[in-house]
Amino acid sequence: MASDHLFVLPGETIDPALVPTHKKHPLRLGPGLRHIPPSDIVPTVAGQLITNPLKNSMWVEFNSQRYIPTTGDLVLATVTRNAPEAYLCSLSAYTPAATLPHLAFEGATKKTRPQLAPGQLVYARVALAHRHMDPELECVSAATGRADGLGPIAAGNGCVFDVSLGFARRLLMARSREDGGVGVLEMLAGQDPEVVVGGAGGGGGLAFETAVGRNGKVWVGSESAKTVVLVGRALQETDRARLGLEGQRRLVKRLLREMR
Amino acid sequence: MPREAEPSLNEKQFVLQALQENLRLDGRELDQYRPLDLSFGDQYGVADVTLGRTRVLAKATAEVTVPYADRPLDGIFTIATELSPMTSPAFEVNRPTETEVLLSRLLEKTVRRSGALDTESLCLVAGQKCWSVRVDVHVLSHDGNLIDASCLAVVAALRHFRKPDTSMDAGVLTVYTPAEREPVPLSWLHSPFCVTWSFFGDEADIAVLDATWLEEQVRVGSCTISLNKHGEICQIAKLGGTPVDAVALLQCTSVALTKVKEFSDLLDTKLAEDLKRRDKGGFMAELRAENER
Repeated sequence: MASDHLFVLPGETIDPALVPTHKKHPLRLGPGLRHIPPSDIVPTVAGQLITNPLKNSMWVEFNSQRYIPTTGDLVLATVTRNAPEAYLCSLSAYTPAATLPHLAFEGATKKTRPQLAPGQLVYARVALAHRHMDPELECVSAATGRADGLGPIAAGNGCVFDVSLGFARRLLMARSREDGGVGVLEMLAGQDPEVVVGGAGGGGGLAFETAVGRNGKVWVGSESAKTVVLVGRALQETDRARLGLEGQRRLVKRLLREMR
Repeated sequence: MPREAEPSLNEKQFVLQALQENLRLDGRELDQYRPLDLSFGDQYGVADVTLGRTRVLAKATAEVTVPYADRPLDGIFTIATELSPMTSPAFEVNRPTETEVLLSRLLEKTVRRSGALDTESLCLVAGQKCWSVRVDVHVLSHDGNLIDASCLAVVAALRHFRKPDTSMDAGVLTVYTPAEREPVPLSWLHSPFCVTWSFFGDEADIAVLDATWLEEQVRVGSCTISLNKHGEICQIAKLGGTPVDAVALLQCTSVALTKVKEFSDLLDTKLAEDLKRRDKGGFMAELRAENER
Protein backbone atom coordinates (compact mmCIF):
# COMPACT_ATOMS: atom_id res chain seq x y z
CA MET A 1 0.00 0.00 0.00
CA ALA A 2 1.66 3.16 -1.15
CA SER A 3 0.52 6.13 0.81
CA ASP A 4 1.30 9.77 1.40
CA HIS A 5 0.98 10.74 5.01
CA LEU A 6 -1.00 13.86 4.32
CA PHE A 7 -3.34 15.36 6.88
CA VAL A 8 -6.58 16.81 5.53
CA LEU A 9 -9.32 18.91 7.12
CA PRO A 10 -13.02 18.90 6.21
CA GLY A 11 -13.74 21.00 3.13
CA GLU A 12 -10.11 21.30 2.15
CA THR A 13 -9.26 21.11 -1.55
CA ILE A 14 -7.26 18.04 -2.46
CA ASP A 15 -4.36 18.54 -4.83
CA PRO A 16 -5.37 16.81 -8.12
CA ALA A 17 -1.85 15.39 -8.34
CA LEU A 18 -2.62 13.24 -5.29
CA VAL A 19 -5.68 11.59 -6.83
CA PRO A 20 -4.59 8.21 -8.19
CA THR A 21 -5.12 7.47 -11.89
CA HIS A 22 -5.45 4.01 -13.32
CA LYS A 23 -6.10 2.83 -16.86
CA LYS A 24 -8.68 0.12 -16.10
CA HIS A 25 -10.22 0.55 -12.64
CA PRO A 26 -12.61 3.39 -11.90
CA LEU A 27 -11.66 5.64 -8.99
CA ARG A 28 -13.10 4.40 -5.68
CA LEU A 29 -13.71 6.81 -2.80
CA GLY A 30 -13.66 5.40 0.71
CA PRO A 31 -14.92 6.76 4.02
CA GLY A 32 -14.44 10.45 4.74
CA LEU A 33 -14.42 11.63 1.11
CA ARG A 34 -17.25 13.03 -0.93
CA HIS A 35 -17.53 13.52 -4.65
CA ILE A 36 -19.07 16.81 -5.73
CA PRO A 37 -19.83 16.73 -9.45
CA PRO A 38 -18.30 17.33 -11.85
CA SER A 39 -14.80 16.71 -10.54
CA ASP A 40 -14.31 17.89 -6.97
CA ILE A 41 -13.28 15.53 -4.20
CA VAL A 42 -13.73 17.01 -0.72
CA PRO A 43 -12.85 15.46 2.63
CA THR A 44 -15.73 15.45 5.13
CA VAL A 45 -13.65 14.58 8.20
CA ALA A 46 -10.23 15.41 9.55
CA GLY A 47 -7.67 12.66 9.17
CA GLN A 48 -4.91 11.12 7.16
CA LEU A 49 -5.44 10.96 3.41
CA ILE A 50 -4.47 7.55 2.08
CA THR A 51 -4.30 6.63 -1.58
CA ASN A 52 -3.80 3.26 -3.19
CA PRO A 53 -2.72 3.52 -6.86
CA LEU A 54 -2.96 -0.25 -7.42
CA LYS A 55 -6.65 -0.42 -6.58
CA ASN A 56 -7.22 3.16 -7.70
CA SER A 57 -8.82 4.06 -4.39
CA MET A 58 -8.47 6.76 -1.76
CA TRP A 59 -9.94 7.37 1.66
CA VAL A 60 -9.39 9.27 4.90
CA GLU A 61 -8.11 7.31 7.88
CA PHE A 62 -9.55 8.82 11.08
CA ASN A 63 -10.50 7.76 14.56
CA SER A 64 -14.01 8.09 15.93
CA GLN A 65 -16.47 6.53 18.35
CA ARG A 66 -19.71 6.37 16.40
CA TYR A 67 -19.99 3.38 14.11
CA ILE A 68 -21.64 3.77 10.72
CA PRO A 69 -22.23 0.37 9.10
CA THR A 70 -20.58 -0.24 5.72
CA THR A 71 -21.02 -3.26 3.47
CA GLY A 72 -18.44 -5.97 4.07
CA ASP A 73 -17.50 -4.91 7.62
CA LEU A 74 -16.95 -7.65 10.18
CA VAL A 75 -18.89 -6.72 13.31
CA LEU A 76 -19.68 -8.10 16.75
CA ALA A 77 -23.45 -7.87 17.14
CA THR A 78 -25.65 -8.60 20.15
CA VAL A 79 -29.03 -10.21 19.49
CA THR A 80 -31.74 -8.06 21.07
CA ARG A 81 -34.86 -9.98 20.03
CA ASN A 82 -36.32 -12.49 17.67
CA ALA A 83 -38.56 -11.19 14.90
CA PRO A 84 -40.33 -13.26 12.21
CA GLU A 85 -37.70 -14.45 9.72
CA ALA A 86 -34.85 -12.54 11.36
CA TYR A 87 -33.06 -11.66 14.57
CA LEU A 88 -32.75 -8.02 15.51
CA CYS A 89 -29.23 -7.17 16.62
CA SER A 90 -27.57 -4.13 18.11
CA LEU A 91 -24.19 -3.04 16.76
CA SER A 92 -23.71 -0.19 19.20
CA ALA A 93 -25.90 1.85 21.51
CA TYR A 94 -26.40 4.55 18.89
CA THR A 95 -26.90 2.64 15.63
CA PRO A 96 -30.36 1.47 14.54
CA ALA A 97 -31.07 -2.24 15.00
CA ALA A 98 -29.51 -4.49 12.35
CA THR A 99 -31.39 -7.50 11.00
CA LEU A 100 -29.81 -10.95 10.85
CA PRO A 101 -32.06 -13.27 8.76
CA HIS A 102 -32.68 -16.72 10.23
CA LEU A 103 -31.36 -18.30 7.05
CA ALA A 104 -28.10 -16.31 6.92
CA PHE A 105 -26.14 -19.03 8.74
CA GLU A 106 -24.08 -21.88 7.32
CA GLY A 107 -26.34 -24.77 6.29
CA ALA A 108 -29.42 -23.17 7.81
CA THR A 109 -32.86 -24.20 6.65
CA LYS A 110 -36.21 -23.30 8.13
CA LYS A 111 -35.95 -26.32 10.44
CA THR A 112 -32.26 -26.32 11.31
CA ARG A 113 -31.67 -22.63 11.89
CA PRO A 114 -29.72 -21.77 15.04
CA GLN A 115 -31.80 -20.67 18.01
CA LEU A 116 -30.31 -17.51 19.48
CA ALA A 117 -31.42 -16.08 22.83
CA PRO A 118 -31.53 -12.33 23.48
CA GLY A 119 -28.08 -11.17 24.53
CA GLN A 120 -26.33 -13.76 22.37
CA LEU A 121 -23.14 -12.50 20.73
CA VAL A 122 -22.74 -13.01 16.99
CA TYR A 123 -19.71 -12.40 14.78
CA ALA A 124 -21.16 -11.34 11.47
CA ARG A 125 -20.54 -9.47 8.25
CA VAL A 126 -22.57 -6.45 7.15
CA ALA A 127 -24.32 -7.62 4.00
CA LEU A 128 -26.31 -4.51 3.25
CA ALA A 129 -25.80 -1.00 4.49
CA HIS A 130 -27.75 1.92 3.15
CA ARG A 131 -28.01 5.34 4.68
CA HIS A 132 -31.80 5.25 4.91
CA MET A 133 -32.34 1.59 5.77
CA ASP A 134 -31.55 -0.68 8.70
CA PRO A 135 -28.33 -2.60 8.06
CA GLU A 136 -28.51 -6.32 7.31
CA LEU A 137 -26.03 -8.88 8.64
CA GLU A 138 -25.01 -12.35 7.49
CA CYS A 139 -22.99 -15.17 9.04
CA VAL A 140 -22.35 -17.03 5.80
CA SER A 141 -20.54 -16.14 2.62
CA ALA A 142 -23.10 -15.84 -0.16
CA ALA A 143 -20.55 -16.99 -2.76
CA THR A 144 -19.24 -20.13 -1.06
CA GLY A 145 -21.99 -20.99 1.42
CA ARG A 146 -19.34 -21.33 4.16
CA ALA A 147 -19.29 -19.62 7.52
CA ASP A 148 -15.55 -18.72 7.34
CA GLY A 149 -15.31 -18.23 11.10
CA LEU A 150 -18.52 -16.21 11.40
CA GLY A 151 -21.42 -17.25 13.59
CA PRO A 152 -22.72 -17.19 17.15
CA ILE A 153 -20.16 -17.02 19.95
CA ALA A 154 -20.98 -19.48 22.74
CA ALA A 155 -22.46 -17.75 25.80
CA GLY A 156 -20.39 -18.03 28.95
CA ASN A 157 -17.13 -17.81 27.07
CA GLY A 158 -14.94 -14.73 27.21
CA CYS A 159 -15.90 -11.10 27.33
CA VAL A 160 -16.33 -8.08 25.07
CA PHE A 161 -14.20 -4.96 25.38
CA ASP A 162 -14.98 -1.62 23.78
CA VAL A 163 -12.23 0.10 21.80
CA SER A 164 -12.22 3.07 19.44
CA LEU A 165 -13.14 2.48 15.81
CA GLY A 166 -9.70 3.44 14.52
CA PHE A 167 -8.06 0.93 16.84
CA ALA A 168 -10.46 -1.81 15.72
CA ARG A 169 -9.58 -1.07 12.10
CA ARG A 170 -5.87 -1.23 12.90
CA LEU A 171 -6.36 -4.58 14.62
CA LEU A 172 -8.17 -5.91 11.57
CA MET A 173 -5.43 -4.95 9.11
CA ALA A 174 -3.81 -7.90 7.37
CA ARG A 175 -0.42 -6.76 8.65
CA SER A 176 -1.59 -4.99 11.79
CA ARG A 177 1.92 -4.83 13.22
CA GLU A 178 3.60 -3.24 10.21
CA ASP A 179 0.78 -1.05 8.91
CA GLY A 180 -1.32 -0.48 11.99
CA GLY A 181 1.41 -0.43 14.61
CA VAL A 182 -0.46 -2.84 16.90
CA GLY A 183 1.54 -5.79 18.16
CA VAL A 184 0.02 -6.14 21.59
CA LEU A 185 -1.82 -9.40 20.87
CA GLU A 186 1.28 -11.09 19.44
CA MET A 187 3.31 -9.95 22.43
CA LEU A 188 0.76 -11.38 24.85
CA ALA A 189 0.66 -14.64 22.94
CA GLY A 190 4.45 -14.88 23.22
CA GLN A 191 5.31 -14.42 19.55
CA ASP A 192 7.48 -11.42 20.19
CA PRO A 193 11.04 -12.45 21.08
CA GLU A 194 11.73 -9.17 22.85
CA VAL A 195 9.02 -9.64 25.48
CA VAL A 196 10.35 -12.22 27.92
CA VAL A 197 8.92 -12.30 31.41
CA GLY A 198 9.88 -15.35 33.45
CA GLY A 199 7.84 -18.40 32.39
CA ALA A 200 9.16 -21.51 30.69
CA GLY A 201 8.39 -20.72 27.07
CA GLY A 202 9.44 -17.07 27.26
CA GLY A 203 7.24 -14.23 26.13
CA GLY A 204 3.69 -13.85 27.30
CA GLY A 205 2.70 -17.36 26.24
CA LEU A 206 -0.96 -16.76 27.00
CA ALA A 207 -3.57 -18.89 25.23
CA PHE A 208 -6.55 -16.87 24.05
CA GLU A 209 -8.64 -16.15 20.98
CA THR A 210 -10.08 -12.90 19.74
CA ALA A 211 -12.74 -11.64 17.35
CA VAL A 212 -12.47 -7.99 16.34
CA GLY A 213 -15.58 -6.16 15.20
CA ARG A 214 -15.33 -2.96 13.22
CA ASN A 215 -18.06 -1.53 15.43
CA GLY A 216 -15.38 -1.00 18.05
CA LYS A 217 -15.87 -4.21 19.99
CA VAL A 218 -13.29 -6.91 20.63
CA TRP A 219 -14.28 -10.30 21.99
CA VAL A 220 -11.55 -12.09 23.94
CA GLY A 221 -12.01 -15.73 24.87
CA SER A 222 -9.82 -17.95 27.03
CA GLU A 223 -9.98 -20.79 29.53
CA SER A 224 -8.81 -18.54 32.34
CA ALA A 225 -10.64 -15.38 33.35
CA LYS A 226 -7.32 -13.80 34.33
CA THR A 227 -6.06 -14.03 30.74
CA VAL A 228 -9.24 -12.47 29.36
CA VAL A 229 -8.99 -9.53 31.77
CA LEU A 230 -5.31 -9.07 30.98
CA VAL A 231 -5.77 -9.11 27.20
CA GLY A 232 -8.75 -6.77 27.44
CA ARG A 233 -6.86 -4.33 29.63
CA ALA A 234 -3.86 -4.41 27.32
CA LEU A 235 -6.07 -3.60 24.33
CA GLN A 236 -7.99 -0.81 26.02
CA GLU A 237 -4.87 0.73 27.50
CA THR A 238 -3.05 0.64 24.13
CA ASP A 239 -6.03 2.34 22.55
CA ARG A 240 -6.57 4.92 25.28
CA ALA A 241 -2.92 5.98 25.64
CA ARG A 242 -2.19 5.62 21.88
CA LEU A 243 0.88 3.52 22.61
CA GLY A 244 3.49 2.79 19.97
CA LEU A 245 5.16 -0.60 19.64
CA GLU A 246 7.75 0.19 22.30
CA GLY A 247 5.07 1.44 24.69
CA GLN A 248 3.02 -1.68 24.04
CA ARG A 249 6.02 -3.85 24.86
CA ARG A 250 6.46 -2.06 28.18
CA LEU A 251 2.74 -2.31 28.93
CA VAL A 252 2.64 -6.04 28.23
CA LYS A 253 5.67 -6.63 30.41
CA ARG A 254 4.12 -4.67 33.26
CA LEU A 255 0.77 -6.45 32.98
CA LEU A 256 2.39 -9.89 32.84
CA ARG A 257 4.49 -9.09 35.89
CA GLU A 258 1.36 -7.95 37.77
CA MET A 259 -0.42 -11.15 36.88
CA ARG A 260 2.22 -13.46 38.33
CA MET B 1 -39.08 5.50 24.93
CA PRO B 2 -35.47 4.58 24.26
CA ARG B 3 -33.98 1.83 26.35
CA GLU B 4 -30.41 1.30 27.44
CA ALA B 5 -28.63 -1.32 25.34
CA GLU B 6 -28.34 -4.48 27.42
CA PRO B 7 -24.89 -6.05 27.69
CA SER B 8 -24.49 -9.40 25.96
CA LEU B 9 -24.80 -12.71 27.82
CA ASN B 10 -21.03 -13.19 27.58
CA GLU B 11 -20.35 -9.90 29.32
CA LYS B 12 -22.93 -10.53 32.06
CA GLN B 13 -21.62 -14.00 32.83
CA PHE B 14 -17.98 -13.00 32.60
CA VAL B 15 -18.29 -10.07 35.00
CA LEU B 16 -19.76 -12.45 37.60
CA GLN B 17 -17.25 -15.21 36.92
CA ALA B 18 -14.34 -12.77 37.21
CA LEU B 19 -15.69 -11.22 40.42
CA GLN B 20 -15.92 -14.68 41.95
CA GLU B 21 -12.19 -14.97 41.25
CA ASN B 22 -11.61 -11.51 42.79
CA LEU B 23 -10.96 -9.95 39.39
CA ARG B 24 -12.42 -6.84 37.84
CA LEU B 25 -12.40 -6.01 34.16
CA ASP B 26 -10.19 -2.97 34.69
CA GLY B 27 -7.79 -4.75 37.02
CA ARG B 28 -8.86 -2.92 40.18
CA GLU B 29 -9.27 -4.37 43.65
CA LEU B 30 -12.87 -4.89 44.74
CA ASP B 31 -12.75 -1.94 47.14
CA GLN B 32 -10.71 0.40 44.98
CA TYR B 33 -11.97 3.54 43.28
CA ARG B 34 -11.05 4.48 39.74
CA PRO B 35 -8.58 7.36 39.38
CA LEU B 36 -10.39 10.35 40.86
CA ASP B 37 -9.70 13.88 39.72
CA LEU B 38 -11.22 17.14 40.85
CA SER B 39 -10.70 20.55 39.28
CA PHE B 40 -12.28 23.96 39.73
CA GLY B 41 -13.27 26.46 37.06
CA ASP B 42 -12.24 30.08 36.72
CA GLN B 43 -15.51 31.19 38.25
CA TYR B 44 -16.34 30.50 41.87
CA GLY B 45 -18.54 27.44 42.37
CA VAL B 46 -17.68 25.32 39.34
CA ALA B 47 -16.37 21.84 40.13
CA ASP B 48 -15.49 19.15 37.63
CA VAL B 49 -15.15 15.59 38.93
CA THR B 50 -13.65 12.83 36.81
CA LEU B 51 -13.94 9.27 38.06
CA GLY B 52 -12.46 6.95 35.44
CA ARG B 53 -14.65 7.62 32.41
CA THR B 54 -17.46 9.15 34.46
CA ARG B 55 -17.42 12.93 34.45
CA VAL B 56 -19.71 15.26 36.37
CA LEU B 57 -19.75 19.06 36.39
CA ALA B 58 -21.52 20.99 39.14
CA LYS B 59 -22.14 24.73 39.15
CA ALA B 60 -23.39 26.70 42.13
CA THR B 61 -25.18 30.03 41.69
CA ALA B 62 -26.96 32.41 44.05
CA GLU B 63 -29.63 35.07 43.60
CA VAL B 64 -31.73 37.21 45.91
CA THR B 65 -35.38 36.14 46.14
CA VAL B 66 -38.37 36.16 48.49
CA PRO B 67 -38.26 33.33 51.08
CA TYR B 68 -41.05 30.75 51.34
CA ALA B 69 -43.98 32.08 53.37
CA ASP B 70 -43.83 29.22 55.90
CA ARG B 71 -40.08 29.62 56.43
CA PRO B 72 -39.44 33.37 56.62
CA LEU B 73 -36.06 32.96 58.35
CA ASP B 74 -34.57 30.40 55.96
CA GLY B 75 -32.86 30.85 52.64
CA ILE B 76 -33.57 28.58 49.67
CA PHE B 77 -31.22 25.80 48.67
CA THR B 78 -31.94 23.56 45.68
CA ILE B 79 -30.01 20.89 43.79
CA ALA B 80 -31.02 20.38 40.16
CA THR B 81 -29.96 17.25 38.36
CA GLU B 82 -30.73 16.60 34.77
CA LEU B 83 -29.36 13.72 32.72
CA SER B 84 -29.14 14.83 29.11
CA PRO B 85 -29.16 12.57 26.04
CA MET B 86 -25.49 13.48 25.66
CA THR B 87 -24.80 11.20 28.63
CA SER B 88 -26.48 8.13 27.25
CA PRO B 89 -29.00 7.54 24.45
CA ALA B 90 -31.44 6.16 27.02
CA PHE B 91 -31.95 9.55 28.68
CA GLU B 92 -34.47 12.02 27.31
CA VAL B 93 -35.02 15.67 28.07
CA ASN B 94 -38.04 16.40 30.30
CA ARG B 95 -38.67 12.74 31.01
CA PRO B 96 -36.83 11.77 34.18
CA THR B 97 -35.72 8.16 34.27
CA GLU B 98 -35.49 6.13 37.45
CA THR B 99 -31.73 6.77 37.59
CA GLU B 100 -32.27 10.51 37.54
CA VAL B 101 -34.98 10.51 40.22
CA LEU B 102 -32.87 8.32 42.51
CA LEU B 103 -29.82 10.49 41.94
CA SER B 104 -31.59 13.73 42.81
CA ARG B 105 -33.32 12.17 45.84
CA LEU B 106 -30.03 10.84 47.18
CA LEU B 107 -28.24 14.15 46.70
CA GLU B 108 -31.12 15.91 48.37
CA LYS B 109 -30.99 13.59 51.36
CA THR B 110 -27.21 13.66 51.62
CA VAL B 111 -26.49 17.35 51.23
CA ARG B 112 -29.71 19.22 51.99
CA ARG B 113 -31.44 17.20 54.66
CA SER B 114 -28.22 16.53 56.56
CA GLY B 115 -27.90 20.27 57.12
CA ALA B 116 -24.55 20.64 55.37
CA LEU B 117 -25.44 24.19 54.36
CA ASP B 118 -26.73 26.51 57.06
CA THR B 119 -29.84 27.86 55.32
CA GLU B 120 -30.57 30.35 58.08
CA SER B 121 -27.39 32.22 57.16
CA LEU B 122 -28.89 32.81 53.70
CA CYS B 123 -31.64 34.99 55.15
CA LEU B 124 -31.17 38.73 54.42
CA VAL B 125 -34.40 40.40 55.57
CA ALA B 126 -36.77 38.12 57.49
CA GLY B 127 -39.76 37.23 55.34
CA GLN B 128 -38.72 39.58 52.56
CA LYS B 129 -35.31 38.84 51.11
CA CYS B 130 -33.08 35.80 51.13
CA TRP B 131 -30.41 34.14 49.03
CA SER B 132 -31.49 31.27 46.82
CA VAL B 133 -28.53 28.95 46.28
CA ARG B 134 -28.87 26.53 43.43
CA VAL B 135 -26.51 23.78 42.31
CA ASP B 136 -26.86 22.43 38.79
CA VAL B 137 -25.41 18.98 38.24
CA HIS B 138 -24.46 18.14 34.67
CA VAL B 139 -23.41 14.59 33.90
CA LEU B 140 -21.02 14.85 30.97
CA SER B 141 -20.08 11.20 30.66
CA HIS B 142 -21.70 8.19 32.26
CA ASP B 143 -19.62 5.15 33.08
CA GLY B 144 -21.26 4.08 36.31
CA ASN B 145 -21.25 5.35 39.88
CA LEU B 146 -22.95 8.65 39.11
CA ILE B 147 -24.06 9.05 42.72
CA ASP B 148 -20.61 9.21 44.31
CA ALA B 149 -19.20 11.43 41.58
CA SER B 150 -22.18 13.84 41.64
CA CYS B 151 -22.16 14.08 45.43
CA LEU B 152 -18.48 14.94 45.44
CA ALA B 153 -19.04 17.49 42.67
CA VAL B 154 -21.93 19.16 44.54
CA VAL B 155 -20.04 19.39 47.82
CA ALA B 156 -16.91 20.65 46.07
CA ALA B 157 -18.88 23.26 44.11
CA LEU B 158 -20.61 24.56 47.24
CA ARG B 159 -17.43 24.74 49.25
CA HIS B 160 -15.69 26.55 46.43
CA PHE B 161 -18.60 28.92 45.88
CA ARG B 162 -18.55 32.56 47.04
CA LYS B 163 -21.72 34.62 47.15
CA PRO B 164 -21.65 38.42 46.76
CA ASP B 165 -21.23 40.36 49.97
CA THR B 166 -24.22 42.35 51.22
CA SER B 167 -24.91 45.05 53.78
CA MET B 168 -28.07 46.45 55.41
CA ASP B 169 -28.09 50.18 55.94
CA ALA B 170 -31.23 51.96 57.22
CA GLY B 171 -33.49 49.37 55.63
CA VAL B 172 -31.65 49.44 52.30
CA LEU B 173 -30.06 46.18 51.17
CA THR B 174 -26.90 46.58 49.10
CA VAL B 175 -25.41 43.70 47.09
CA TYR B 176 -21.78 44.41 46.23
CA THR B 177 -20.07 43.39 43.03
CA PRO B 178 -16.80 41.44 43.30
CA ALA B 179 -14.94 44.64 42.37
CA GLU B 180 -16.37 46.48 45.35
CA ARG B 181 -16.09 43.77 47.99
CA GLU B 182 -14.60 40.32 47.92
CA PRO B 183 -17.40 37.68 47.71
CA VAL B 184 -17.94 35.58 50.86
CA PRO B 185 -18.10 31.80 51.18
CA LEU B 186 -21.26 30.00 52.28
CA SER B 187 -21.72 29.03 55.88
CA TRP B 188 -20.80 25.37 55.56
CA LEU B 189 -21.26 23.03 58.50
CA HIS B 190 -19.95 19.61 57.40
CA SER B 191 -19.08 17.81 54.16
CA PRO B 192 -21.01 14.60 53.55
CA PHE B 193 -19.94 12.21 50.79
CA CYS B 194 -21.66 9.20 49.22
CA VAL B 195 -20.03 5.80 48.94
CA THR B 196 -21.92 3.25 46.86
CA TRP B 197 -21.47 -0.47 47.27
CA SER B 198 -22.70 -2.86 44.57
CA PHE B 199 -23.55 -6.45 45.39
CA PHE B 200 -23.09 -9.45 43.14
CA GLY B 201 -23.87 -13.16 43.29
CA ASP B 202 -27.09 -14.98 44.19
CA GLU B 203 -26.53 -14.41 47.91
CA ALA B 204 -25.19 -10.87 47.35
CA ASP B 205 -21.96 -12.01 49.01
CA ILE B 206 -19.58 -10.06 46.75
CA ALA B 207 -19.43 -6.36 47.60
CA VAL B 208 -17.75 -4.01 45.14
CA LEU B 209 -16.98 -0.30 45.35
CA ASP B 210 -17.25 2.18 42.47
CA ALA B 211 -18.96 -0.07 39.92
CA THR B 212 -18.57 0.75 36.25
CA TRP B 213 -21.63 1.00 34.04
CA LEU B 214 -21.28 -2.63 32.91
CA GLU B 215 -21.03 -3.80 36.51
CA GLU B 216 -24.04 -1.68 37.44
CA GLN B 217 -26.07 -3.43 34.78
CA VAL B 218 -25.18 -6.84 36.19
CA ARG B 219 -25.38 -6.17 39.96
CA VAL B 220 -28.16 -7.64 42.11
CA GLY B 221 -28.36 -4.73 44.51
CA SER B 222 -26.64 -1.60 45.70
CA CYS B 223 -26.34 0.35 48.90
CA THR B 224 -25.41 4.03 49.14
CA ILE B 225 -23.97 5.21 52.44
CA SER B 226 -23.55 8.94 53.03
CA LEU B 227 -21.33 10.09 55.85
CA ASN B 228 -18.84 12.77 56.73
CA LYS B 229 -15.23 12.38 57.78
CA HIS B 230 -16.20 12.21 61.47
CA GLY B 231 -18.13 9.02 60.78
CA GLU B 232 -21.55 10.63 61.20
CA ILE B 233 -23.89 8.77 58.88
CA CYS B 234 -26.38 11.01 57.08
CA GLN B 235 -28.36 8.32 55.31
CA ILE B 236 -28.18 4.75 54.10
CA ALA B 237 -30.16 3.86 50.98
CA LYS B 238 -30.62 0.22 50.07
CA LEU B 239 -33.40 0.42 47.53
CA GLY B 240 -34.67 -3.09 46.76
CA GLY B 241 -32.46 -5.77 45.31
CA THR B 242 -31.23 -8.94 46.97
CA PRO B 243 -31.13 -8.81 50.80
CA VAL B 244 -27.66 -8.27 52.27
CA ASP B 245 -26.32 -9.65 55.53
CA ALA B 246 -26.35 -7.02 58.31
CA VAL B 247 -22.79 -7.82 59.40
CA ALA B 248 -21.60 -7.35 55.83
CA LEU B 249 -23.27 -3.93 55.76
CA LEU B 250 -21.46 -2.91 58.93
CA GLN B 251 -18.20 -3.92 57.29
CA CYS B 252 -19.17 -1.83 54.25
CA THR B 253 -19.81 1.20 56.45
CA SER B 254 -16.40 1.04 58.07
CA VAL B 255 -14.66 0.80 54.68
CA ALA B 256 -16.84 3.69 53.49
CA LEU B 257 -15.49 5.84 56.31
CA THR B 258 -11.89 5.38 55.14
CA LYS B 259 -12.94 6.31 51.60
CA VAL B 260 -14.78 9.39 52.82
CA LYS B 261 -11.68 10.51 54.69
CA GLU B 262 -9.74 10.19 51.42
CA PHE B 263 -12.38 12.26 49.57
CA SER B 264 -12.32 14.85 52.31
CA ASP B 265 -8.52 15.14 52.19
CA LEU B 266 -8.59 15.38 48.39
CA LEU B 267 -11.18 18.14 48.50
CA ASP B 268 -9.25 20.07 51.17
CA THR B 269 -5.97 19.89 49.23
CA LYS B 270 -7.65 20.90 45.97
CA LEU B 271 -9.43 23.82 47.62
CA ALA B 272 -6.16 24.98 49.21
CA GLU B 273 -4.39 24.71 45.83
CA ASP B 274 -7.14 26.68 44.15
CA LEU B 275 -7.05 29.37 46.82
CA LYS B 276 -3.30 29.67 46.40
CA ARG B 277 -3.73 30.00 42.64
CA ARG B 278 -6.27 32.81 43.07
CA ASP B 279 -4.41 34.58 45.84
CA LYS B 280 -2.07 36.58 43.64
CA GLY B 281 -0.10 39.07 45.71
CA GLY B 282 -1.45 37.63 48.98
CA PHE B 283 -4.24 40.17 49.53
CA MET B 284 -6.96 37.57 49.98
CA ALA B 285 -6.69 37.49 53.78
CA GLU B 286 -7.06 41.27 54.03
CA LEU B 287 -9.92 41.43 51.57
CA ARG B 288 -11.95 38.80 53.41
CA ALA B 289 -15.09 40.14 55.00
CA GLU B 290 -16.25 37.14 57.03
CA ASN B 291 -15.26 36.34 60.58
CA GLU B 292 -13.40 33.22 61.64
CA ARG B 293 -15.84 30.61 62.91
